[in-house]
Amino acid sequence: MGLFSDLKDKLSGTGRPGSLVTEAAVNTALSRVIDPDLHKDIVTLGFVRNIDIQGDHVALEVNLTTPACPVKEKLKAECETELLKIPGIAHATVTMTATATRAAPTAATPVTIPALAGVKNILAVASGKGGVGKSTTAVNLAFALAKTGAKVGLLDADVYGPSIPKMVKITRPATVAGDSMMVPPEADGVKVISAAMFSTGDRAQILRGPMAGNVAKQFLTQVQWGELDYLVIDYPPGTGDIQLTISQTAPITGAVIVTTPQEVALIDVRKAIDMFKTLKVPVLGVVETMSYFVCDGCDKKHFIFRDGGGERLAREFGVAFLGGIPLDPAVAVGSDEGKPHVVAQPESTVAHAYTQASGMLARQVSILNAQNDGALEQFTLSWKS
Amino acid sequence: MIEPENIRVKNIAQTNERTLAIQWTDGRADAFDVVDLRRKCPCAQCVDEWTRARTLSPEAVPDTVRPLRVDSVGSYALKIQFSDGHATGIYTFQMLRDLAAQIH
Repeated sequence: MGLFSDLKDKLSGTGRPGSLVTEAAVNTALSRVIDPDLHKDIVTLGFVRNIDIQGDHVALEVNLTTPACPVKEKLKAECETELLKIPGIAHATVTMTATATRAAPTAATPVTIPALAGVKNILAVASGKGGVGKSTTAVNLAFALAKTGAKVGLLDADVYGPSIPKMVKITRPATVAGDSMMVPPEADGVKVISAAMFSTGDRAQILRGPMAGNVAKQFLTQVQWGELDYLVIDYPPGTGDIQLTISQTAPITGAVIVTTPQEVALIDVRKAIDMFKTLKVPVLGVVETMSYFVCDGCDKKHFIFRDGGGERLAREFGVAFLGGIPLDPAVAVGSDEGKPHVVAQPESTVAHAYTQASGMLARQVSILNAQNDGALEQFTLSWKS
Repeated sequence: MIEPENIRVKNIAQTNERTLAIQWTDGRADAFDVVDLRRKCPCAQCVDEWTRARTLSPEAVPDTVRPLRVDSVGSYALKIQFSDGHATGIYTFQMLRDLAAQIH
């Protein structure tokens, strides 16, 4: 049997004449490389593509589930090590690519919201109460994901206090296409929609609950989001009407909870987590803002509030701690000048912290999608009598 | 192993004139009588919000009632628009699974 399959490999393998190395040998070598999050080898996961063997040189692609994969370099190195162990291989070229996974394959039944049909993952960024840096986190996570090459949209659903256009300079207004769908303007490649785009200046948004809910709903159903790997939604703070409307309208992949260290002690953040639990939206992790302050004089991390609150909260609820973001007056400056931190000052500690958190987030999304295999995202069934 | 709270719908179909079949992501499959679902509607018009007592009497629902359409609600529930005009019930996946467990 072994002999026969070896022979078959030699006959049908893509190994070119002159090369003794078969594709099967390459797959065997790479099956020793395990994805640390999905706990399966990369061959079984179907990540390995376009194997090309030329003499003693093998070139191939490893297609990951997210461009924001934090272990990309480590996996690449492991692949090269394993490939070079194959007798007859002296050179290995591994190219890392990525196609973001989605929560479910395209449903057999038509999706209920066509505008979201091309959106692979919808991420809710929420907090127990206001003033914890939720919008800043949503913006920086979105732009950090976009910087890795992912296609990203940003929806400011904070209908009463939309602040994203202040943090992200939008030069073009949202336009309306022929089919009465809104076309979102782009900033650094990220599609952005906010309630602030539809009102003037500092006018207060005076809306009754049902109206506010409708506005949020329209942003999901009447915007040409197109093909997106991640749609980041900046939720209003708390657990109110709008949050419920959004969660009932769109199939939310998962939620990110933003908290400050001292807010952890409060009941509000627990209520936010509980809301998502009730709505069956998995909590992907906790981001802690204002974690510490790096003094410009001594470079020491000063933990102004209690140390490790966000991490404890994450542990208590059994979710991932995505990272702690330091307090930096430049964040506010960056926000007010219309450039997200990860774009304006990519080398700063804050930008690094957000980039790391976005990698952790993308990783949690991939893990969740691997577990959720086969679930229908949205469905509609017409009854036949 | 999927945690119970993360179990979602893998497939949903009408199997006959009054049966709704759901296959769950944990592999379990349940069949529901649509008339029974209408009688067990969990909405505030059918269940007293304070006492949780059912205010809708089963006899008030004729055997001829049928869904017109079934839609997903977020990723935790479904809603059914019935031929008698009633459409306010949100049937959570958890409720449906509990309901099926009672029938078995």
